[in-house]
Amino acid sequence: MSRRNRTRAVRTAQYGVLVLLVVAVALAADWSELRRAFFDAEVAREQFPDVVTTALVNTVVYTVLGFVFGLALGLLLALMRLSPVPPYRWLAVAYIEFFRGVPALLVFIALGFGVPLAFQVSINQYVTVMLALGLVGAAYMAETIRAGIQAVPKGQTEAARSLGMSSSRAMVSIVIPQAFRIVLPPLANELILLTKDSSLVYLLGLSMDQYELAKFGRDALNQHRSLTPILIAGLFYLAITLPLGHLVRRLEARAARAR
Amino acid sequence: MSARSTRQRQHGRSRIPLVTALAAALVAAATACSSTKTTGGGGSEVQLVDAGKLTTCTHLPYEPFQFRKGKQVVGFDVDLVDLVARDLGVEQKIVDTPFEGIQTGEDLNAGKCDLAAAGMTITPVREKNLDFSRSYFEATQALLVRKGDTYGSLGALKGRKLGVQQSTTGEEYAKKHAKGVETVQFEDLGLLLTAVKTGKVDAGINDNGVLYDYAKKNPDTKVTAEFDTGEQYGLGVRTGNDALRAQIDKTIKKAKRNGRYDALYKKWFGTEPRT
Repeated sequence: MSRRNRTRAVRTAQYGVLVLLVVAVALAADWSELRRAFFDAEVAREQFPDVVTTALVNTVVYTVLGFVFGLALGLLLALMRLSPVPPYRWLAVAYIEFFRGVPALLVFIALGFGVPLAFQVSINQYVTVMLALGLVGAAYMAETIRAGIQAVPKGQTEAARSLGMSSSRAMVSIVIPQAFRIVLPPLANELILLTKDSSLVYLLGLSMDQYELAKFGRDALNQHRSLTPILIAGLFYLAITLPLGHLVRRLEARAARAR
Repeated sequence: MSARSTRQRQHGRSRIPLVTALAAALVAAATACSSTKTTGGGGSEVQLVDAGKLTTCTHLPYEPFQFRKGKQVVGFDVDLVDLVARDLGVEQKIVDTPFEGIQTGEDLNAGKCDLAAAGMTITPVREKNLDFSRSYFEATQALLVRKGDTYGSLGALKGRKLGVQQSTTGEEYAKKHAKGVETVQFEDLGLLLTAVKTGKVDAGINDNGVLYDYAKKNPDTKVTAEFDTGEQYGLGVRTGNDALRAQIDKTIKKAKRNGRYDALYKKWFGTEPRT
């Protein structure tokens, strides 16, 4: 067999395996059962409009709250991580290593119970969500932002300093804006991750108007004993994350052009 | 000293205020957001975590004690706590939270809610974590299987799968008495019942009230056994919250006297309570 023929044969075999797999799964699955469980039109209709007006809205609100707080804390941690004062650096490293290494689920449980116990205050639900999601997100975002700050050429700081700017002014006006331009794609990626992590909010205890998509879907699953609401909730997650994914690719392309 | 290190030192000196200012702003923002607790007057007054509302922690679904019907949470426990709320002159607000937070008392300690109403059996272990009202319901454990199956005892399930609900008295009973039976843990009752119905497990153990209710509505399942555990349900309050506990006891007592309790019982279980 010539080299070209061999390549063609291998490629044909790859297609063949793929087709076989699809056919095997399609034949093995019980489609009528699947249709009954996942595509129950009546159950699907009952999920509207609450799945949008309550669940989707709450998912977005929780995510945005967590992201904004996480971004602020992440920036602070990144600056601490680069600080010439060693204790700040130690604190930042310890924080990042801890929250990056612990499952978000445990953070939610610990925070949901721990903070009110420690300070004897009952904290607003949205604040708790913001703290829990933000604390987890901040650890990742801090490392992203730090990399971004370090990626800004040294000459930028030097030029700003030689123009008479103080070093903090140079950091705020010259370095950080350029760093954010660099880290926009990974930050948008973090937003996608936080969107999915917001499903852990159920651990804090929710009243019905506080349900987000995952809890809403699980609750409807219990109520109707149908998997259709799970499918609907999943589709709405995609409705958030797919445009974000598209945005990430656009930002990456723009960054590549600018370089 | 080289030029570079001089620059670094200046760099550091002026950056500290920036970092501390940011930190201070964050702390200020965090404290500004935290809401305060309602502080009532005298010690005997009922204090609520959310003023004007009686906040109830529960774990859905637990039909017919608490479950969703359309856009509302309804059930025997819900109606009972509504009576307490009415006596206090406030509305009930229901929070759905994982059951381990309820039975460990942490939801109450953390001020998530004023009371816990979750078809919860009074047990010595739970009594260490929270304070219970007087009993408002009697229950035993029961076994749910699919119609064609005949497992009538835990012994008959040897080598089979028995579904239990996490943190419940049923799980405890199964652990103690179901030797050689593989127990499979589910987070809530809805998942456990679905697992029995679809054959993911061979049987499920839970409180008789909810299983009979399910078997009645799902004729392809049946209850084959009851284990006389003699359990009593109580409403939970934070340890030491005697004012609210006394109010709950008063309401339950009153409801049992004036027939309200019997009416609720009939509404949700279809029969009069056994006396």
